[in-house]
Amino acid sequence: MAEAVLPPSPAPRARGVLSKRLTAWFESRVARSDTLLLTQRNVYILPTRAGLTFAFTLLVLLLASINYQLNLGYVLTFLLAGSGIVSMHLTHNTLRGLTLRLRPVAPVFAGDAAALEAVLTSPGSARYGIGVKVQAARADTLTWIDVPALGQASAHVSFVPATRGLHSLPTLSIETRFPLGLFRVWAIWRPASSLLVYPRPERPAAPLPAARPVPGGPTLARTADGGEIEGVRGYRRGDPLKLVVWKKAAKALASGGELVTRDTRASAHQELWLGWAECGALAPEDRLSRLAAWTMAAHRAGADFGLQLPGRDIPPDSGDAQRLRCLEALALWR
Amino acid sequence: MALNPLSLPRWPGWRRLPREARDTLFLLGVIAWTVLPHVQHLPLWCAVLTGAVLLWRARLALANAPLPGRWVLVGVLLLAAGLTLWSYRTLLGKEPGVTMAVALMALKTLELRARRDAFVVFFLGFFIILTHFLYSQSLPVAAAMLVSVWGLLTALVLAHMPVGQPSLRHAAKLSARTALLGAPIMALMFVLFPRIGPLWGVPQDGKASTGLSNSMTMGSVSEVALDDSVALRIRFDGPPPAAEGLYFRGPVLGRFDGREWRPQTPSFPGALQPRANLRVAGPALGYEITLEPLRLATLPLLEVTTRTAPIEGLRVAQRDDLSWLAERPIYERLRFRAEAHTEFRHGPVTGVLGLQDYLDLPAGYNPRTLAWAAELRRDPLYAQADARSLAQVLMQTIRQGGFSYTLSAPPYGRNSIDEFWLDGKAGFCEHYAAAFVVLMRALDVPARVVTGYQGAEPVPVDGYYIVRQSSAHAWAEYWVAGTGWVRADPTGAVAPERISRGRRLVPAQGLIAGTLGTVSPELLASLRDAWEGVNNRWNQWVLTYARGQQLDLLKSLGFDAPRWEDLSLLLIGALSGLALLGAAWAWWDHRRVDPWVRQMDRLRRALQRLGLPAAAHETPRALAARVRERYGVEGEALAGLLDTLERQRYSPKAASRPDTGLTRRFTALARRLPLLAR
Repeated sequence: MAEAVLPPSPAPRARGVLSKRLTAWFESRVARSDTLLLTQRNVYILPTRAGLTFAFTLLVLLLASINYQLNLGYVLTFLLAGSGIVSMHLTHNTLRGLTLRLRPVAPVFAGDAAALEAVLTSPGSARYGIGVKVQAARADTLTWIDVPALGQASAHVSFVPATRGLHSLPTLSIETRFPLGLFRVWAIWRPASSLLVYPRPERPAAPLPAARPVPGGPTLARTADGGEIEGVRGYRRGDPLKLVVWKKAAKALASGGELVTRDTRASAHQELWLGWAECGALAPEDRLSRLAAWTMAAHRAGADFGLQLPGRDIPPDSGDAQRLRCLEALALWR
Repeated sequence: MALNPLSLPRWPGWRRLPREARDTLFLLGVIAWTVLPHVQHLPLWCAVLTGAVLLWRARLALANAPLPGRWVLVGVLLLAAGLTLWSYRTLLGKEPGVTMAVALMALKTLELRARRDAFVVFFLGFFIILTHFLYSQSLPVAAAMLVSVWGLLTALVLAHMPVGQPSLRHAAKLSARTALLGAPIMALMFVLFPRIGPLWGVPQDGKASTGLSNSMTMGSVSEVALDDSVALRIRFDGPPPAAEGLYFRGPVLGRFDGREWRPQTPSFPGALQPRANLRVAGPALGYEITLEPLRLATLPLLEVTTRTAPIEGLRVAQRDDLSWLAERPIYERLRFRAEAHTEFRHGPVTGVLGLQDYLDLPAGYNPRTLAWAAELRRDPLYAQADARSLAQVLMQTIRQGGFSYTLSAPPYGRNSIDEFWLDGKAGFCEHYAAAFVVLMRALDVPARVVTGYQGAEPVPVDGYYIVRQSSAHAWAEYWVAGTGWVRADPTGAVAPERISRGRRLVPAQGLIAGTLGTVSPELLASLRDAWEGVNNRWNQWVLTYARGQQLDLLKSLGFDAPRWEDLSLLLIGALSGLALLGAAWAWWDHRRVDPWVRQMDRLRRALQRLGLPAAAHETPRALAARVRERYGVEGEALAGLLDTLERQRYSPKAASRPDTGLTRRFTALARRLPLLAR
């Protein structure tokens, strides 16, 4: 987003245990919802440090006006005081009336950033300088947006989930200091959606386990060391481009032939099982990581693959549906 | 990035500047505008330093170069403090304070690292704006500072619009809106905030900025002769007295120690003191006077004021020397009514012992003047002369003895009267008054110095007269048996126009006024009159608004005996009322929803009253279809309105606001339709 004119405030220091618990208690009082209408009841306001300094400046100006009997000094002091009071209402008004709506969140791998998209809708005038962030994050991660009059704007906020599983979304905070920065107005939003987090894939990925021939079936293809399944055929409409064997296709095209793709059907007689037992002597989470990496590799190769987890088997299949099914099983295992 | 200090970065054009550079340049411009009027009061080094720092900062912003290190700033700051000390010999007081504030503000622009630094610049800016009012509260200064406030607020607003590149015009509009919305609060507080005296003593500046004080040394009055600020304003009920009668009586100084004149310290008991014994003739002249804070317990009132209306919170009384004394020095602006008589006599008719104090002369001072007086006395012509003829002789000497009236009198030494009367023969009113009194005393006539103001310049509208500090004056009084105290103004003998027209010594006209004056004197005169009129309104309504007017306002609001506590209560009440209004508005506002949604809600409720199902997600078109289905031809008008709404809201030429007329027509039509059986 646009760079802030002023450098951001320094990050707050690590909070104490008490204030953490206080925050947690406070958050637990806020109901979860994917849409939130900001009203008088859920928008909070406090003067900023600059606001307190401003008040002190006004006091100094007032004392100087009294002591030197400056009527214009009074005018200046009261003009600034009036503007300050008005700015309190304007700042509060910037958030009040906004509707926040969360777009559906796509699942991510643990360790990757999950992008949340909040859509802010203004029922009336334009709203400026609204910052959105994950509440626990540092102040300089604020995403700044303006919401046009009677319009919408999206704020993208990301956070990095540490572990796999079905997580509830973190609490978001929406704040603004517009127009004068004397007051900070904020609201707390606990989206109700949850986020599916797949295990962090192992990097670098271990080689895929060998495909096992289906008992009783013909053995047509041979397996290479890398676990890649060899066997080619002519290109057919609908074949994914990544299955095109470019080296062979280039030769074939040069000799007036056609594109050549890997024949995944050749492996129909072989079955690739990504199994808990194949992972060797790894810790359970590491096994899940390896299985996630294998799932991705097998999917990239276009192979049919099945997943064996203790207590759950997913029969071999291919395609996006199979990948998502397997990853979800890995994410939610136990 | 190495910068050649002489090569300027190329100017990319205002619109093509990066956001940060543009905002910084704008802030620097506002700061320069704010500081600029101070250049006339600041020492040269401060003006040069400020200008150089601002230009340097602008160059850094244009080149997007890093800011200088902290040690450079500390060094320059120490240098500024040292130079301030060198210029004023102190860091305290008005002028050193302003100098340091301006230097600090300029240096702070080199340190705009964090948000906090920017706020420091803003708040210092507001403070510097206030310091301008210490020097002048005129209309042009007020207008210039209004621009400064607007600029600073605009910069603040810009700093809180982090998205994209908002235009300056847009930010200026937003800040103007904030200030305009705050203006009623400002007006309310300005009118009702109780005007109280200073909370503590204001440190006096090295040079007295007021014309009058309780003492007079040679040269003290001429210092203020160039001070054009207003001392008092006066408006007479009837025709004003002649300029010769416009004496405003300040402290009366009867004791002379050879160097300094002070109020008399009587050496005789009260019963033997000369009494006021005021005898007036003719009708009283009522007037209204507005006194600027003179930091003096003596009120310079018109000679001779016999009565003043009670002044809130201050007791004043007339002393035997006819001066009006308040119980404490006046640090606030006062406005009140009073009555004066221009024909009067005062002082004891027959001699009292206390008059001896007015014959005292310090021993060992001014021997040649005393010899001159003694020689005059030896002249058989004057050996038996009375006080009046002696005064005549002195006036005659001043008129014909080669004396001149000048502001730039040479500094006179220890025997100042000797050097003035016999050698220099050039001086200002205080020289003439002092010499006259010393000579009269040497001639055995009781005499004293009176200080105050003389003359007033009329303001063309409203009948006001302005007395400026530059009208400060000193004259003499001597005692005549059978009459009492008699005023003698020796300055009138040397510079009659100073007295008769109340003329001050004025500097030469500016170039523009001079040119305009030669081309079209009438235009210049009418322009000047119009300007004086506006200026006078400004003075009356804004600058001299004081406690008196506040209490008058309360009276007109129905308070019987208003006190300043009533003002505070009224202010607190009004502000609380405003706060409640604000809270009520916020509460009402929170129920505000998208006007389209609100309209749709009303239509839907109207349909539901008819018994027609209408869910929140259904579009006007779907509802129209249902109306047609249920009511047929009868419901066509209603369905048509729904179709219109669909077009208004969703067609390419959609309206920006819902049509309230449509809502009204719709509910009226719906009321006429028969209810549906569920």
